[in-house]
Amino acid sequence: MPQTLDRRRLLATAALGGVVGATGLGSLAPEAAFAAEPAAVEPGAPDPNFVEGRISKISGHLLLVTGSDTVLHSIRITDGTSIWKLHPTTFDQVAIGDGLYARGVRLPDGTLAADSVWVNIVNLHAHIAAVGRNLLHLDHKGQRIVAHVVPGRSAAVYNGTPAISDLSLLRVGRHVQVLGAWHPDTNEIDIATVYAAA
Amino acid sequence: MAAIRGEVSWFCCGTAWGPCGTAGGGACGTCRSGNYQHAWPNTSDACYAITHPDTCGLSMSRRTCGFRHYTTNLCNGSRVGTTIADCGPQTDLFCGERTCCGSACGSNRIIDLTPAAFSAIGSLSVGLRPCSVDTV
Repeated sequence: MPQTLDRRRLLATAALGGVVGATGLGSLAPEAAFAAEPAAVEPGAPDPNFVEGRISKISGHLLLVTGSDTVLHSIRITDGTSIWKLHPTTFDQVAIGDGLYARGVRLPDGTLAADSVWVNIVNLHAHIAAVGRNLLHLDHKGQRIVAHVVPGRSAAVYNGTPAISDLSLLRVGRHVQVLGAWHPDTNEIDIATVYAAA
Repeated sequence: MAAIRGEVSWFCCGTAWGPCGTAGGGACGTCRSGNYQHAWPNTSDACYAITHPDTCGLSMSRRTCGFRHYTTNLCNGSRVGTTIADCGPQTDLFCGERTCCGSACGSNRIIDLTPAAFSAIGSLSVGLRPCSVDTV
């Protein structure tokens, strides 16, 4: 038996109901997992192992996703899939209407066996238009977006310094990058990390 | 071009959900979140006038739509090849910013990848990584 685990076979096994747990897969932690896989996609081309869209149906551990280009996708959540929705979370937190990006491997029937699913994740470049109690009003491409500070989760990185929970140094007019989770029902977001320029 | 070292982030483009829905096809008109593409801060005079990497002391070559770059995530060594599809990042707004993984560091934002490309070399939940960028 080869010493190196074949990732595609493992995910396919998990997707098909094999007894494979996240602990057993180990290297499914995103940073380590991506390091192990060389990119084989031609620069400029679409990646067949990546899906973008909104969840239109959840059936067991299968997500039916409608891509923004209207293409339909099936995504299989396995025991080894890492799920992010503002923070690492579990499958029961995923809902119909959520947007997502997913990466994994294609099974023979076209289903994507997901390595990682990032639910409602946004990474906005914006200016701070106003600061309120536990929220920021962002100007993003001419659109106003309300960004909520989530106590215990939201953090700020001030010009490359280590992330801290104190967001009080953010000022109106500053340019920021905001990594967070979108609320499909209100179009507002929760803040995971704010990167603030000097 | 010798490899340059800096920071890489990600951005969405093309048809999309949520706040990304207003992103459009980027400066080249071809940008799609699911494609291996990137934004580069010197795609034209108009682009350079916005991004101004020179104010951070960077000399970045003029490259136009479709040009290939290869980005290496210095946290794990993984690498992805992408083509230019947009102008960005706005380097001058984050002059001097520094991101590290242990002793591997990068300063100043030099490239933004699409979600498909960024997620091939790192997790989208980490918005910023030190990187090196080259052309081969």
